[in-house]
Order: sequence, then structure tokens, then C-alpha cells
Amino acid sequence: MEEFFQQLTNGLAVGGIYALIALGYTMVYGVLKLINFAHGDLFTLGAYLGLTLLTSLGLSDHVGPFTGASILALMVMGLVAIVGMLLERTAYRPLRESPRLSAVVSALGASIFLQNSIMLIYGAKFYVYPQDVLPRTTIEIFGVYIPLMRILILVVSLVMMAALYLFTQKTRVGTAIRAAAIDQGAAKLMGINVDRVIMLVFLIGPALGGSAGLMVGLYYGQINFTMGWIYGLKAFTAAILGGIGNIPGAMVGGLLLGVIEALGAAYISVAWKDAIAFVVLIAILIVRPKGLLGERVAEKI
Amino acid sequence: MKRFLTLALALCMAAGGTGLASAKSIKIGLMAPMTGSWASEGQDMKQIVELLAKDINDKGGINGDQIEILVEDDGGDPRTASLAAQRLATQGVVAVVGTYGSSVTEASQTIYDDFQIPQVANGSTAVRLTEKGLKYFFRTCPRDDEQGRVAAGTLEKMGFKKVAVLHDNTSYAKGLAEETMALLKDKGIEVVFSDALTPGERDYNAILTKMKSAGPEAVFFTGYYPEAGLLLRQKMEMNWNVPFLGGDATNNPDLVKIAGNKAAEGFYFLSPPVPQDLPAQKAKDFLAAYQKKYGAAPGSIWAVLAGDGFLAVTAAIEGAKSTKPDDLADYMHKKMKDAQGLTGTITFNDKGDRVGEVYKVYKVDAEGKFVLQP
Repeated sequence: MEEFFQQLTNGLAVGGIYALIALGYTMVYGVLKLINFAHGDLFTLGAYLGLTLLTSLGLSDHVGPFTGASILALMVMGLVAIVGMLLERTAYRPLRESPRLSAVVSALGASIFLQNSIMLIYGAKFYVYPQDVLPRTTIEIFGVYIPLMRILILVVSLVMMAALYLFTQKTRVGTAIRAAAIDQGAAKLMGINVDRVIMLVFLIGPALGGSAGLMVGLYYGQINFTMGWIYGLKAFTAAILGGIGNIPGAMVGGLLLGVIEALGAAYISVAWKDAIAFVVLIAILIVRPKGLLGERVAEKI
Repeated sequence: MKRFLTLALALCMAAGGTGLASAKSIKIGLMAPMTGSWASEGQDMKQIVELLAKDINDKGGINGDQIEILVEDDGGDPRTASLAAQRLATQGVVAVVGTYGSSVTEASQTIYDDFQIPQVANGSTAVRLTEKGLKYFFRTCPRDDEQGRVAAGTLEKMGFKKVAVLHDNTSYAKGLAEETMALLKDKGIEVVFSDALTPGERDYNAILTKMKSAGPEAVFFTGYYPEAGLLLRQKMEMNWNVPFLGGDATNNPDLVKIAGNKAAEGFYFLSPPVPQDLPAQKAKDFLAAYQKKYGAAPGSIWAVLAGDGFLAVTAAIEGAKSTKPDDLADYMHKKMKDAQGLTGTITFNDKGDRVGEVYKVYKVDAEGKFVLQP
């Protein structure tokens, strides 16, 4: 039983990160019907920028670990958001009226471009985060070991997701985003600046992806330029599992995928972990083709 | 006009003269992972081989000929390696040194054999590479079955009765895990857990939790250092104090950087001696020169073994007084006895494996240094 709960917390920690990255896929898909393949690389960029800022600024020496980490997170999110916005301007906006396939190819190209740029700037070696940025303690509850950092990651992920959900549901700008998701033409007629809405989506999604990269760096320590691929793939899967285009769906999908992986590894086989996760995905999609939280929230208004 | 002609003639002669003095050069290829996740190994391999070549050239070359090193990047990837091998083969190299990973070497092996170019691999320890009976393939590193024997022997000597074995599904790591498990069974040591992780991930808590519940007294991980570092760190965070042992692919100083000193302390690994523990005087002199030129010692033994591959090739050219592939291969197989290498003397057997050379056991101390165990 201890092992079960331990695996559950293992799964939730990984799943929280998947969920945070999945939000970026889901938002862009919701508004543009485009799968932003470069999102995983924006995540990598977050991890690298975080390390660069961390080592060059020495933040935690001045203001204490948690304040330092928060400032760091804001800076990383801001910078990655700018890159995300530039990406939209250069790779996606010129192709908005073109067939869907062109944009998909452009997204793949952008992914390769970003990944190689990171490699050329930072080099092919992996980098290691300093280990003492945040206190590394582990708490024990009934034989289940939970590192404090893990709780922090999960809490931060959940807070960000909740904030995003409230933002899209309760604010005027959020309503505009949802309107653009339903019908861009009609939204334009209602006086919504669709270009600005899309730009906003490309600010929020990459910012969340970048913050996930920073958290992975801070917690696991080791980063390299190809790390975005595997996380991107898993997060994309999580978005589909939960119902792509749906914000709570991305959260549920991410957490669920993490837990399925951990339990699959525990009770079936470690080497088959990924295969099990994808079999579950396919099974769910056969039963519920729209994903777990199927219909897009935006259409329910 | 006449004066001009004389001048031109004189210039031609001068040019011809220098051309004659440099004689013809012998091209030796180096195939190494200059990019990709093993890039640091490849950079060291290049620096070592180039320094050795410069040393020989400064002393007048081999049999009066200068050596030229042609470097090709295999990216640590089998597909890139087969392209690199083809490029080298068409550039007139007499022999090739390299490369690091077994699966990468395997992708290039038959290409060199087809072109009849002797290849001396340096970090490729999978058993089957030399069991295929390729005439032109040699290696300066020991084989996995030897490592498996040392691993099983060490686990037995340390008194463990229940052991977990973890690999990463690469041909090298899986092979070593299987060799070791078979030997452990013969010794009556129970393997309570054996499975594979996916390299390149960040979170191995699920695997560690599963291993922990199987209750092993020690864990033997046969994969590479990036994953080993993460495993050590995450093992510490879940308060699991089981001893960890690693195969020779964990022999890299970056392991300690990833895990952190505290988590890496007490980690055992098997390996041929690390560069600073090499006994031969030639190695000590060379490492001093290397340190002077590049500012730091080579990271791992695998790059040093590329130097041995280069020395074996030059010894063969010198001894056989030829650069023909058949002469070189014959010489290395049959006539070369105790050629002086950096890691000791080099002799090859019929299969192309190096004779002698023993694995050592190392332990990481509190400062993250690799300490040779008696």
C-alpha cells in the first residue's frame, strides 16, 4: 500500500509538469486549430534561460530562496513569452490563410530551428543547475517520501492552471479568447481584435511552458537541448487525452498521464511504461473520441 | 625576359624543394562523437589523437612520412556514423581510430571492412563486435563479458545476496546486464529485480520506488552517466540508502556534477583505470603534456584508449613498413607484441580483441573524486 501511494505521488509530480506544458498546446489549438510543435522547445528554452539568469544574477544570494525563485520565474516567463510572440509573428501569422498543412509544417520547422539554435548558443553538452537554489528537504508521511520541491511544483502548477481557467472564464479578455475560439469571423464582426487575441494566446502558452522548463531545471537539475522533445510529446498526449482545446482537460489529462505512467511502471513493467501510457490513450480515444472532457468549454456558453 | 624566366624557374625549384621535403603524408582517420550527448568524449578523443600525431610528426614522422589526421563526426548516432565512415573511406585513409559507443561502432564496422580499412575502436565494449570475425576490426578497450565477470565478482565479494540489475535497453547496457545476471545466478546470488529505464527522461522515481519494494541489498546499473547521476540524486531524496554500482559507462566526472557530491558519495563503478591512475611512464608524460596544452586532463579513459588505438596503428605502420591494409591487419593480428600504449602494452588476439587489461573498482568519495579501490 505504501508503494501504491508512493507511486501515486511520483505520478502526480510528473503529471503536474505535463499538465502545465499541455496548457500551451491546448490554448493554441483551441483558438487556431494548430498544433504548435515548437512548444516543447519553448519549454527547453525556459530551462536554459532560467539557468543563465540564475548563474548570472545570483538572485537567491540577495533576496532569499523563494522570492529569488519567484522573480526568476517571472523573468523566464516574460522572456519565453516574447519568443513565443515572435514565433507567432514570423512562423504562423503569414500562413494563417493558407491550408492547415502549411502551418503544421511551419510548426515542425520552427521546432527544429529553436532546438538547433539552443544547441548552437549553449552547446550540445547538458547543463546542471546549482543544487542549493531551493531547500531540498524530504518529508515522510506513513512511509511515503515526498520531496518538498515536488509539492511546490504541483502547487505552482495547479495555481497557474486555476488562474488561467478563471482568466478565460471570468474576464472580458478571456471571453474574447473564447469567442475567437468558436468563430474567428463572427468574433471580428463583434469588434474583437482577433490578431491581438491570438498574440495573447502566444504570450500565455509559452510563458507557462517556460515556467515548466524552469521547474524541471530546478528540481531535476540536469537539462539538455533535446529535452523538449520527450516532454512535448507527453504533454501533447495529455492535451489529447483530456480533450484538446479544453483547459481543465489539459490539467486532468496531464495528471492522469503521469499517474498512468507511474502505476504502469510499478505494476506491469518499467521498460513498457511509455507503451502502456499510449495504449491507455488509444483505448480512451476509442471510447471517447473527443478526449475525457470532450466538448470544448468555449462552445458551451 | 630571361631574368624573369630564371626567377620563375628558381621559384619552381624552391616550391618543388619544399614539396619534396614534406614527402607524402599518411592519412589516419578519427571517427568520434564531436556533437550529440557524448560530444565531450569526442572532443577529448580528437585532442588526444592530434597531440600524439603532432608528437610523432615533430620527431620526423613514421618511416620518414608525416601523419595527417582526418576527423569525422559520428554524432554518437549509428546513422550519422555510417555516413561518416563512408566519407572517411573515400578520402584515402590507411586506418581509422574510433569510435565510442558500441552501437555506433557496429554501424560503421562493415563499411570499413568492405573498403578494407583497419579500424581500431576505443570505447565499444559489446562482445559481438569482435565475434563476427571481421578481419580489419580491432579494439583497445576490454569486452563486456570481462566487465560482467568483474561486476559479478565484486558483488559477491561485497557480500550481497539479493541484487537489482537495471539497464537502459542500449545494446551495450543490455548486454552487460545479461552477462552479469547469468554469472550472478551461477554464484547463487538472487536477482530480485531486473528491468530497463528510458534514457533521456528526467524523473526516475517510479523505477526507484519499484526497485525499493523488491528489497535488493545493492543495485547494479549498466547504463550511462547522465541517467546514473539522476538516479543517485532521486534515490537520496527518497531516503533510500542502498549501495549503487555502475558499469564503465558511468565513468565520467559529469556524473558527480549531475548527482551532486552528497548523492554521488559512495557510488561504486567498474572501469579500466581512470587517466590519472595509469601506471606507465609514457602515460604520465603524455598527460602532463596534454594538461599543459589544453589546460585540463582528459575526462575519461575512453578518450585515452583512442590514443592507444592511434599508437597501435602507427606501431603497425612502422613495424610492417607498409600502409597497405592487409599488411597492417596481419601485423596487428600476428606480429605486434606489447606495443607501448598509454594504458599499458598493446597486443591483439586473432579476433582483434586486446589481450590482458583488467577492470578496476572505483568509489566516489565525499569530494566527488574517483578513488581506486584496492
